[in-house]
Amino acid sequence: MASSAPVLEFPPPVPADVLAAHLYTPSRAEQLIVDVHDLRKVFVKRRSAPDASMWQRLALRAQRTDERVAVAGVSFGIAEGEIFGLLGPNGAGKTTTIRMLSTLLQPSAGRATINGYDLASQPDMVRRNLGAVLTGERSIYWKLSARENLEYFAALYHLPPAIARRRVAELLERLDLASRANDPVEGYSSGMKQRVAIAKALLANPPVVLLDEPTIGLDPQSARNLRELILEIKREGRTVLLTTHYMEEADLLCDRVGIIDLGKIIALDTPAALKRSIRQLDVMQLEVEAFDEALMPELEALPGVQQSAVRYRDDERVWSLALHSTDSRAVLPRAIALITAHSGRIRHMAVAEPSLEDVFIALTGKQLRD
Amino acid sequence: MPSTSLAQPTWRSYIRAALAIARKDTIVFFRYPANALFRVIEPIAWLTPMYFLGKSFAGSAGNTGFAAYTGTNDYMSFILLGAVLANYIAAVFWGMGYALKSEMDAGVLESNWMAPIPRALLLVGQTLASLAITTFNSAGMLLLGWLLFGFQVSGNALAAALILIPMLVALYGFGFAFAAIVLLMRDANTMVDVSNYLISMLAGSQFPVQVLPRLLLPLSLALPLTYGFDAIRALLLGVRPLLALHYEIAILIGFMAVMTPLGYFVFKRIERYCQMRGTLSMH
Amino acid sequence: MDTHIAEPWRAGRSLATELRAVLMIARKEWMIFRRYPSWVIALFIWPVLMPLAYIFTAQALGGPGGESLTRFQQLTGTRDYAAFIVLGSILWMWLNMTLWDVGMYLRNEQMHGTLESNWLCPTWRVSLILGGALTKLLVSVAFILISLLEFRVLLGVHLLAGNVGLALLALLLTIPIVHGIGIAFASLVLRFKEANAMVFLVRGIFMIFCGITFPVAVLPGWMQVIAAVLPLTYAIHAVRAALLANAGWAELSADLLVLGAYAIAAPLLGYILFGIVERGARRRGDLGQY
Repeated sequence: MASSAPVLEFPPPVPADVLAAHLYTPSRAEQLIVDVHDLRKVFVKRRSAPDASMWQRLALRAQRTDERVAVAGVSFGIAEGEIFGLLGPNGAGKTTTIRMLSTLLQPSAGRATINGYDLASQPDMVRRNLGAVLTGERSIYWKLSARENLEYFAALYHLPPAIARRRVAELLERLDLASRANDPVEGYSSGMKQRVAIAKALLANPPVVLLDEPTIGLDPQSARNLRELILEIKREGRTVLLTTHYMEEADLLCDRVGIIDLGKIIALDTPAALKRSIRQLDVMQLEVEAFDEALMPELEALPGVQQSAVRYRDDERVWSLALHSTDSRAVLPRAIALITAHSGRIRHMAVAEPSLEDVFIALTGKQLRD
Repeated sequence: MPSTSLAQPTWRSYIRAALAIARKDTIVFFRYPANALFRVIEPIAWLTPMYFLGKSFAGSAGNTGFAAYTGTNDYMSFILLGAVLANYIAAVFWGMGYALKSEMDAGVLESNWMAPIPRALLLVGQTLASLAITTFNSAGMLLLGWLLFGFQVSGNALAAALILIPMLVALYGFGFAFAAIVLLMRDANTMVDVSNYLISMLAGSQFPVQVLPRLLLPLSLALPLTYGFDAIRALLLGVRPLLALHYEIAILIGFMAVMTPLGYFVFKRIERYCQMRGTLSMH
Repeated sequence: MDTHIAEPWRAGRSLATELRAVLMIARKEWMIFRRYPSWVIALFIWPVLMPLAYIFTAQALGGPGGESLTRFQQLTGTRDYAAFIVLGSILWMWLNMTLWDVGMYLRNEQMHGTLESNWLCPTWRVSLILGGALTKLLVSVAFILISLLEFRVLLGVHLLAGNVGLALLALLLTIPIVHGIGIAFASLVLRFKEANAMVFLVRGIFMIFCGITFPVAVLPGWMQVIAAVLPLTYAIHAVRAALLANAGWAELSADLLVLGAYAIAAPLLGYILFGIVERGARRRGDLGQY
């Protein structure tokens, strides 16, 4: 991120009025099942100043407050039955937003309703209408079996015993867990564990499901199956809010996507419309070996280049460059000449259809994954 | 086809939730059978030396010196009863103290806190499990104590059990506050270990508190638990109580009346703090 | 020096290089030890807390006027039950610390995944353990001194009144014994990977059979047989007799001889056991697993 910081000084190529049209407008609020209005979270940390004397510290005089803005005011609305994605790099504020909506974290400002219930004043009703799978957390007991876990959470979600039994059996069957339902979860594969967590989220038949980075850490096959499952959840009429930093995932699953960076939503629309917004741009993708990063300012200075981003890909040992320009025919030869003159070897290049990743680059001058 | 939540809260569903929590804790506890067995056997490691210490002071008439302090020379039953009560103290310090923290370390605290139940209910359920497990352990220990050291009681067991109630309610009320505090501490083990040991000792789990030096005696007499130990021993073993029994019972009821709301209050404060700071998932 | 750098394999295994390795390991252990502040509690608070319960119980057993102390004196030769219990508990806690530290030392390295990288080094396995033990020995000496001081100040227990020289000799002989038990224990932990339960078992056995808080004479016959096999019984007896009853060489020679024999045998047995476990681990290849 540090290396690409200067790029931010370039004016974003998407005109401000086009952007504004894509952002949430409160007038649509009536039909929204998730309605988030200017939600903010600022973490305040108090600590004593490093140069404070012992007595000042004792008297709590020398306290300094560090404020970290995790979410700098986000607004969006989700219509019933929609899959809405928050797309952004790590640390952009996706998880903090989800944790606020799942009543685990108190917002510093702003308000939100879920299925009509207010987050601040009716947290219990919000919880009844919400199923959530958080990332980084196990969220289920590894020492218990899948069935024991689901029975446990069914009781916590106030399911009457008869309904609970039916629902547990139904979910075990549907999520393909029935054959090992009585084994302790600790022996499951990570894909199965994730399915138990999702079954837990679906137990109370909630109208809204929150999924925080649902496919992270899964092997490609499990991730594919999980995406299929998410589409199924939508077909049941549920509303899904998911976060991801995989643009392919957002593209594939989401009806609408909010692109979030540095705690703010910087664009919000359907994936197609977002990509269309930069369609007038050509997106050049180059894979270069032995690239010299110091060349970036020169590449960006080439006439016609609107935006650029670079990232080193460890797995392939190549630098992956993205150049956005209004005229790739003019830019490409000069870019190639510049790179090869500095002993970079171009392994692959393409002028591609813009992806959501390119939308992100166009808006921020950064790649999604660093 | 809009879906509606299946959650149907009634007073019975809250009780079912508490029982489900207790059941879950019990299942997890017995998933480590070695641990469960260990809890029963462990006290023998310090009870046996106590037994032989008693032997090395016992003359032909038994422990007469001990009888001069307490009014009974059944030294081992005195200690075993103390050990049972100390089990509950340890259960509150170690079990309840870590009730929230271990859920956090297992990564399941947030799942529980996202459920539409009052968050304190989690601790109520865990209290039920802790009471059941500790009672089970203590019964095993007393059985062993009976086999090895000749444990026996006479007297009014029902009255003793009644006295136990305010004492346990107060203890577990304290446990609510303690669980919340431990949740925020990075390394609480040493503090828990030392406070558990000191409180059990000062409350007189192993000896009549009259023997304590002048400096420690006020600390001991300031602990309501001391009177609980004393009253139960007075009823079951005929030990001469420190105060008249009805005073001791009044102290225990007062203890309960203070500790329970205090514990709840501290828990709520720390719950709010976590909600602000979002420290729940760090491990 | 240059040749060492150019051809390290030629440097061979001189005693000096081994010693340097031992000292470096000791230094590493010391640095790790310092990072965990709870050691202060282990050094300063537990030595006083642990025996307190037994001392107060002994006080209760003695009776308000000390009427039952006569029986205790017949069995032990002293009326000073506090000093009697303190001495036993210091030795026991020393053993306990060693079991935890040495036993957990290899186990921790195993769990942190550093055991294999240590064992890849061309250092003697023995040096690896000695290095860890050296730090613990320093800590143990500090622990014993601090305990003595605390009991003197807090409880007014005089412990250095009798035959200090012989007590010191008994303690010196106990060092290799405790070390040997520690190594044997560490090997078993490495093999069975169940540290907590084993510490409990081993220290429980010493607690019950060695007369930590009571005279061994009150044990029933079969338990006395076991007590007679355990070296700590002799160490505790010798130290108590020397310090509390001012016993001389004549009375203690038998104890000290047994201790001397154990001082040779215990480390030997410990290292043999360690060798067996290490070979087994290499054969099964489960050294890095936990």
